[in-house]
Amino acid sequence: MVKTIIAHIKKDFRIEFRNRYAASVSFSFAFTTTLAISLAAGGIPFSPQTHAVILWIIMFFTAMSGLAHIFVREEDRGTSLFLQLNSPPLAVFTAKLLYNVLLFFILQCLILPVYLFFMQLDVQSPLFFLGYVFLGGVSLSSSLTILAAIVSRAGARGALFPVISLPVSLPVLWVVIQGTSRSLGRAGFSNPGDMVFLLAFSGTITAVSYLLFEFVWHD
Amino acid sequence: MHRTVMKYIYRLVYIIMPAAIVMAFLYAPPAEGLGESSRLLYVHVPLAWVSVLAFSVSGILSLLFLFTGNGERTERVHAARNSAAIGLLFTVLATFSGSVWSKLSWGAYWNWDPRQTSIIVLMLVYIAYFSLESALRENSSRPRIVSAYLVFAMVTVPFFVFVVPRMFPSLHPDPIINPDRQVHLESAMKISLMTAIAAFTLLYGYLLDLANRVTAIKEQQKGHLL
Repeated sequence: MVKTIIAHIKKDFRIEFRNRYAASVSFSFAFTTTLAISLAAGGIPFSPQTHAVILWIIMFFTAMSGLAHIFVREEDRGTSLFLQLNSPPLAVFTAKLLYNVLLFFILQCLILPVYLFFMQLDVQSPLFFLGYVFLGGVSLSSSLTILAAIVSRAGARGALFPVISLPVSLPVLWVVIQGTSRSLGRAGFSNPGDMVFLLAFSGTITAVSYLLFEFVWHD
Repeated sequence: MHRTVMKYIYRLVYIIMPAAIVMAFLYAPPAEGLGESSRLLYVHVPLAWVSVLAFSVSGILSLLFLFTGNGERTERVHAARNSAAIGLLFTVLATFSGSVWSKLSWGAYWNWDPRQTSIIVLMLVYIAYFSLESALRENSSRPRIVSAYLVFAMVTVPFFVFVVPRMFPSLHPDPIINPDRQVHLESAMKISLMTAIAAFTLLYGYLLDLANRVTAIKEQQKGHLL
């Protein structure tokens, strides 16, 4: 099982490296949006709350443009039936989940420096800021993976994915925006309770996703 | 037998709903500080309660469809859909009544108070469910996929209805929503509120039963045509 999962992750990253569809579209979106906001702001300083909101809107829509691709690609290329026959659902879901978490982590590592540079952001509590950003990323990507599997079976995927994802992602966005805002504005800020919430949310959602994946995956 | 009994229980709404209306306007006193606008309590709170109840019923029916009956009990999927449709209606009404009360009490129709946010998010879940259902119209796996989505969304509901609103300060009053989990109301108001909640719950059950019977007839007709 572990070998199957690793093989799937390697395959997915190899395919992604060859055509770089999800990564390049997502990063381009985040990059152009950050530039547009920086240009429109014209150097006017934003409050920590405004920065937190803008950063997480960019992160959320970056996830919308990139995280569904892992399942949509399988349906479009006709390889999903092969995967259904070849590998157990648990292995497929684990591989796709880890792929999405890793991909989003990489995207955040690229987006964050761009945002900090162009928006001239001064972070007061760097450790908690990074904690909110990366834990928020893990929560988002873990909750969106099964929704990517659901949306790959439907029509109008581009519009549908944000519609079905937003209600599920809102608890995460609610907490991370507040936490990011406080970590930007206050030196020495610490609130481990929010981190515990994000971990609990990710854990619960991932567990439920495992239970439900088979119903979504098989015809 | 069980269905027949429930049908008669739901019809109690013809007695309890008028009683709830009379009690709300004539029996319960106006609340201190809020005045006559506090009578919105007997509409807004039951509507919000039924919104969450309908969603939970949809989620439980979807769970039963997925995990029991080998995926053949499609009447559960239809019942879940009917419950979601009624729930969406009640959510819209709860949002509307809440925003009127918000204007009267807090001076603005919308404040992004955590409780207001949670009802809007519930509405978004319902809208997402119906959008997904429409997008899967040609797909034979539609019952399983929409049921899976509803169960998944149901798991997130406790987070944004019960957990997150308690992490942030709320404008919503303490007499109803408080850490003691007690209703701190005068006895006349408490009795009126409980009656209203019972009336709206019966109304929901009545509408759901009606909708399920209509769906069953439509499915029967479809079967005859085929």
